[in-house]
Amino acid sequence: MSRRKTAIKYWTVFTHIGLLVFSLMWAFPSLWVALTAFKSNEDIFSIPIKFFPARPTFDHFIRLFAKWPFGRWLLNSLFLAMFVTVLSLVVCTLAAYSFARLSWRGRDTLFLIILASMLLPMEVSIIPLYFMAVQFKLFNTIYGAALPLIPLPIGVFLLRQFFLNIPRDLEDAARIDGCSSFGILWRIVIPNSLPVLSAYGIYIFNYAWNEFLWPLICLRDPNKVTLSVGLRLIQGAFELDYGLINAAAFLASLPSLFVFMLLRQRIIRGIALSSGIKG
Amino acid sequence: MPFLPPNFVSMKRFSTRGLRREIEGLVYVLPYLLLWGTFILWPLGYGFYLSLFDWNPIKGSKFVGFANYVALFKDPRFLNALTNSFKFAAMVVPLVLIVAFLFALILWSWRGSRYLSRFAQAVFFFPYLLTVSVVAITWRWLLDPDFGPITFVFKYLRIPAPTFLSDPFWALPLIALATVWWLSGYRMVVFQAALGDIPQELFEVAVLDGAHINQLLFRVIVPLMKPAILFSLVLTTISGFRTFGQVFMMTEGGPGRATEVLALYLYLNAFEYFRIGRAAAAGVIMLILTLILTLLGVKLLGLKSELY
Repeated sequence: MSRRKTAIKYWTVFTHIGLLVFSLMWAFPSLWVALTAFKSNEDIFSIPIKFFPARPTFDHFIRLFAKWPFGRWLLNSLFLAMFVTVLSLVVCTLAAYSFARLSWRGRDTLFLIILASMLLPMEVSIIPLYFMAVQFKLFNTIYGAALPLIPLPIGVFLLRQFFLNIPRDLEDAARIDGCSSFGILWRIVIPNSLPVLSAYGIYIFNYAWNEFLWPLICLRDPNKVTLSVGLRLIQGAFELDYGLINAAAFLASLPSLFVFMLLRQRIIRGIALSSGIKG
Repeated sequence: MPFLPPNFVSMKRFSTRGLRREIEGLVYVLPYLLLWGTFILWPLGYGFYLSLFDWNPIKGSKFVGFANYVALFKDPRFLNALTNSFKFAAMVVPLVLIVAFLFALILWSWRGSRYLSRFAQAVFFFPYLLTVSVVAITWRWLLDPDFGPITFVFKYLRIPAPTFLSDPFWALPLIALATVWWLSGYRMVVFQAALGDIPQELFEVAVLDGAHINQLLFRVIVPLMKPAILFSLVLTTISGFRTFGQVFMMTEGGPGRATEVLALYLYLNAFEYFRIGRAAAAGVIMLILTLILTLLGVKLLGLKSELY
């Protein structure tokens, strides 16, 4: 008994130290970037190192906006992520409804095939997608960068899982009242699925916002690229302008930070949902 | 139709209604199916097709059968990339899983201030929301061999600091470390969800029976979390295996080719050297390896019930 008590005591001490040490370790990299963004070059390249900026400066931000279309990149990323989110929500909801509630031949087989494609690496498709984008005249357009991100199989999987759990009685009652299948989707299934719809919406928004490889290939015009690819352009151009690139990285992570502070609980619950373990 | 059997009419009505139902079901799936077919399914076939050609836009492409695959396996650079991808996955996967599990466990058993644990959860999770470029910039700056804070710590402790990302030995493990920082928070949330699902009574019973902490951990918690752990194992392995952004942004495969992973090899061949056929073949190999990894996960670890 006492051995267990000491074990519990050790564990409690360990969790306290662990929480402290790991929090610091995990927070430090981003903090360092944020602090560097406001340091003068003198402070950035000082030895020994300076943790806080001696004289905070906005120089790097001013230079960033003078040299690069950072605002455009932000808007491009925003547009891409919104476009993908809205369309993906619409097509995935329709498909998931059919897979969950309508019965037709080959339904489950098709669903399994789509589900299996969840694990296909996008990297494999980039060369064919590149040729297709050129052929369809979608190369170097934001639509070309967005379209392949829309049919995310996990969306169908997640929504179907949720739709399956909506009680049948509601649907039967509506059907007796003469509701069409679309009416059932619109009036019963969707209003009862707002948590999962918003969870998936946040998930795919984040996915589209952060997607790197395909936009890197599809978007070539420095004015048309997304934020993630734009940062790559900055890095490629100035190896050593650490102030500017840290300012850019800091600004680029602000939207994530802002959204995260607003929707933390929802995002985390959404992840738990979309992990496929809860559902 | 007086001479037809009476149930003919009803049978006919049944079949048209059945047909309508079939069509209705398909109509809902159609928009998704079109996008999925165009952007997910079709590129796979197209990629395989491309891998059978010696691509040449000027002289015209020539069908070469599996020659690209043969060339691939004779290319030491490809074999190097393959090894690096496996090495990278071998470093990232256990680290991500262990760190994420530890975080989840610490937060789950936390009995102190709730604000503190919520804050810690936010701190652990936040890097996951960053785009890969930000992650790469962050870590390049942290690991700067001249002015980075980590170098400074080494100097302060009077330990000779390696040149980090310019050091062929350290570059890949350090990219793996950055990846662990980036992705562990996501797995932590998955594990937290799984921990939350364990019925509280089980612990009470185990504690009443006089179970030790490590017995609690290895006899109760880990077995009950097995599905979540295995699921994460497969998914993290696949994502580690296909890593591109971090490497591309942090080292571009260098120093030398010490960090050139499969996806980078594919990218460079396709979009820098324009060896489309060979790059497509590398893509097919990547696909096959992913499928093998997935099947191993599904068959050996019995994940089928988790997915479907």
